[in-house]
Amino acid sequence: MTTTTNSGPAESGMPRTAPGLSVLATTLESARQTLVMLRYRRILLIAPIALLLLFVITYVLAGTARSSNGANLYSVFAWWGLATVIVPWVTLFLGVQAVHGELEDRTSQYLFLRPVSRVPLLLGKWLAIATVSSVLGCCSAAVLFAAVAGREDLWPDGREPWLLVSFCIVLGIGAIAYSAVAVFLAAIFRRPLAWAAFFVVGVQMLAANLNVSAGMRQLTITDPLRRMTLDLIEPSRRLARSLWPAERNEALLVENGTGAFRLEFGSPICSLLILIVICLTIGCWRYARTEYESRSRD
Amino acid sequence: MSDSHSIVLEFDSVTKWYGSVAALLDVSFQVGNEVVGLVGKNGVGKSTLMKLAVGLLDPSQGAVRVCGSDATTRESRARIGFCPDFDRLYEPISGVTFVAWMLRYHGVAGRAATERAEEVLTELGLAENMHRPIREYSKGMRQRVRLGQALSHRPQFVLLDEPMTGLDPVARAELADLIRGLPQRGVGVLVSSHVLHELEAVVDRVVLVHQGRLLADGKVDTLRDQLPERPHRLRLKGARLRELASQLTAWPEVDGVSFLRDGLEISLSGHGAFYERFSDLASDWQGGVHELIPLDDDLAAVFGYLVE
Repeated sequence: MTTTTNSGPAESGMPRTAPGLSVLATTLESARQTLVMLRYRRILLIAPIALLLLFVITYVLAGTARSSNGANLYSVFAWWGLATVIVPWVTLFLGVQAVHGELEDRTSQYLFLRPVSRVPLLLGKWLAIATVSSVLGCCSAAVLFAAVAGREDLWPDGREPWLLVSFCIVLGIGAIAYSAVAVFLAAIFRRPLAWAAFFVVGVQMLAANLNVSAGMRQLTITDPLRRMTLDLIEPSRRLARSLWPAERNEALLVENGTGAFRLEFGSPICSLLILIVICLTIGCWRYARTEYESRSRD
Repeated sequence: MSDSHSIVLEFDSVTKWYGSVAALLDVSFQVGNEVVGLVGKNGVGKSTLMKLAVGLLDPSQGAVRVCGSDATTRESRARIGFCPDFDRLYEPISGVTFVAWMLRYHGVAGRAATERAEEVLTELGLAENMHRPIREYSKGMRQRVRLGQALSHRPQFVLLDEPMTGLDPVARAELADLIRGLPQRGVGVLVSSHVLHELEAVVDRVVLVHQGRLLADGKVDTLRDQLPERPHRLRLKGARLRELASQLTAWPEVDGVSFLRDGLEISLSGHGAFYERFSDLASDWQGGVHELIPLDDDLAAVFGYLVE
């Protein structure tokens, strides 16, 4: 250890008190650092093995379902396996770990002492989680498609790559929304994983299956995603019933091209956008408070 | 007190409440281009004071300023370096990456940030290990990384919370030299430590906090002199101790003399006059006076007296 650590700024040409980064640069830097840290997460290290297992299991299951057709089988697997289970849980887990983990072990203090706003720090984390989860979701959808497409007899009219594209779009949007919820839960609550479980099991599973007149469905992620899926893949009535078994409104099941992606109030994409904005706004507001500590939450 | 032209940290009648509990009450002090020690038992408000100083807490009353700016502003954070006492870092990445990442938020570009991080960690003695993952580091190495991130952006005010923890004796001595050298480069330092003799060796003055209040602020010897009700105690070793004791008890500034196994313990009321008289006595004393050591002039003793 020598004693020149704080040698004068002129010696290195670096300003003594360098200005902090801009909002955009801070967001990108925070996202970059979060992505690098995510590389070391065990859940991502085992992702290739999990994808391989997913391929094998799907391929075997597809072989036993000879009465079905490939498009229906893939849609059911992708919806019930990926969109309602894997993507929500993986995204919420990664998001909660990225934000809440740093608050709990106090390493977030290193960030809070930097001359940057905390809002872009949190937005950067959200961006990183959304990116990773979207990529994971798309990879899973591709692996699943490859496994089902491997059974040639299930596709008498030829394979339908549009299904893969559709589910990639839906899973990507879902990952972005779930990341926002993860960031919100991690910034607000002291036990965000428990709240995440409540969100997925309680809010999603129950509220998303309420009658369409119940406005609560608009507050979930599953319901808008499902309507987007139906809009994109334009399923038969039988497939629509498989994807949406609790729906009592028969008209909705056969209705295609409902404008799920139209940017108007009440449309599924608009509902998700509102949910994302609300989650991020509240999360950032809480995260940016000066006296922000793990123990002060809840 | 510090020179008002170079104040880097200022607490101005700061009070901090947690609900109905007062963590700090009307605390005022300043830190200039000097090393100031922060001393206090656990739970007396030291951590609150530090968090206020680095802008992680807002004062309930009063103001905390860093280089003239409110401590919670970005301008202040750009001027502060903080070495916390908790032992958590970004475990999977290397020390140099961690320091460079923190530098990036100060607006230092990627390559320059890495070069500066390497420079700081090399100077802190981590040259050989700085590219290894932090999770493989010893406690001392981790402490150097924490120090590195606090110093890398060349702050004007550095707050070090238990910086000696985990360091070996050689590294402690080197760190003490480093801390002592910071004021010469225009850096004010507030350092806390439970190892009071080590703290005493590096600080220009101390701030003593007890039960949320500022108990004392000043140089250790000045504070000691402000405790007249506490007689100074000395240990003396030499020849012909009985005769020496009988002579000393006759002096008005000597309150009492007691025999130890191998010397005398002397209690003084006026130690300035005592030293003048004693130097004459010792030079003529047959057989010689071998040792005269103050027993309670150090920071630990002063701190103990003040909080009793």
